[in-house]
Amino acid sequence: MTILGASLLGGALALDATSVGQLMVSRPLVAGLIAGSLAGDPRAGFMAGVILEIYLLVAFPVGGARFPEGATATVVAAVTAATYPEPGSLALAVGLGLVWGQLGGWSISAMRTLNGLIAPDPVRPAVPPARVVSAHLLAVLLDFVRGALMTGSGVWFARLAVERLAGRWPLGLPDTTGLLLVGAAVSVGILLQSFGGFRRRRVLFVTGLALGMLGGVLLP
Amino acid sequence: MSPLSRASRLSAFLLSFTIQGSWNYRTMLGGGFGFALLPVLRQVFAGPKLMDAVRRHVEHFNAHPYLAGLALGAAAKLESEGSDPEVVRRFKLAIKGPLGGLGDALVWAAWLPTTVLLGLVAYLVGAAPWLAVALFLVPYNLGHLTLRMWGFRAGLTWGHDVAHVLRDAALGHRAEWVSRAGVLLLGVLAGLLLTIDPARAMVALRGGALEPLWIVLSAGAFALGLLGGARAWRPAAMVAVGTVVSILTVAAP
Repeated sequence: MTILGASLLGGALALDATSVGQLMVSRPLVAGLIAGSLAGDPRAGFMAGVILEIYLLVAFPVGGARFPEGATATVVAAVTAATYPEPGSLALAVGLGLVWGQLGGWSISAMRTLNGLIAPDPVRPAVPPARVVSAHLLAVLLDFVRGALMTGSGVWFARLAVERLAGRWPLGLPDTTGLLLVGAAVSVGILLQSFGGFRRRRVLFVTGLALGMLGGVLLP
Repeated sequence: MSPLSRASRLSAFLLSFTIQGSWNYRTMLGGGFGFALLPVLRQVFAGPKLMDAVRRHVEHFNAHPYLAGLALGAAAKLESEGSDPEVVRRFKLAIKGPLGGLGDALVWAAWLPTTVLLGLVAYLVGAAPWLAVALFLVPYNLGHLTLRMWGFRAGLTWGHDVAHVLRDAALGHRAEWVSRAGVLLLGVLAGLLLTIDPARAMVALRGGALEPLWIVLSAGAFALGLLGGARAWRPAAMVAVGTVVSILTVAAP
């Protein structure tokens, strides 16, 4: 997949995350499959999306809070993982995707500050409708461009990093899995707290845990 | 005043899908609210009165984007009935807090993570990627679109008196039930991650069972997240640090 193609996809998914629709096709679970398919390896892209989804389960666009941007993070990680099949590339792709997600969150904050300058000023005695329409559409366009630039630069940087470092990744696949799982476990803990905490939800959580472990053991 | 045309109502509802498009720290949803209400305002007002009405509706406003339609529908009804602008302003001021809090609790903190967990669990037990994605997207958007349509319709129907509809809908109670389902799914996910053969579901990570060390570290990480919450862990920031450290380690001669 070309950097331009990844950028356009990242821009479109960034729009879905907050500005237009919010149908959540921008969530890592979905974006990973889309990006991986376009990059030629849907399963590798989806896998990157699954891991990022677990990490970002606790990142929601609540109010004006700054949050890691899952859409651009996932396109960066999924395209990288789909392009480079080496064991270390998935871990690097996920890690770099998360770094880019954080940068994406900062870029959203900067864009929202800029939107404040573009937005019509309600202190003026009258606001023409055309002023509202142009400001709103310009802000949506800016969000698309921002998402595209974040994604394009991320994919470019990730390629450089993976080409130089993936072959020197010191962990085998089982340990890489373990490393990624440790990070994911923190998110699971935070989400349980967000759902009400262990003390309040212990019966349901432990029941689910037992069912999950049973399923994990019994699955063929 | 003439009743709102179907075209105005439909346009306002469709434009409400972009209500966060110009979100900013000064007027927050204000610009998007005014943008979505334009079809209605254009039908009701003209000339200087239209520009004054637009100015009133791009003032500071905030709400959950899925529930903002409730305020939008109510504002459309109030404007079409020729209500006093001060009444409309006070209504928006009063409703924005509940719409934000209820929406965050129901959608961001309960419905979204629960439906995502449904997709993740489905994948880990063997569903194809497209099916796992569908098991997340379809239920999520059924709830999402229902909420948007219900809110806009309720606002249009009840106008200024929409608060009782919001109270009767018991959204907080629904959020509690969704959260319970989410906790159960979260437990299932954790159990699967700890026990499933990576070769079974994680094709890209195949390579055998996890070493006990990683399971112990994962349990510790889980406890850290549980006890510390989001304050103790900004996922992306922590992983960013971990990645940089890993890269430096790998790159070291």
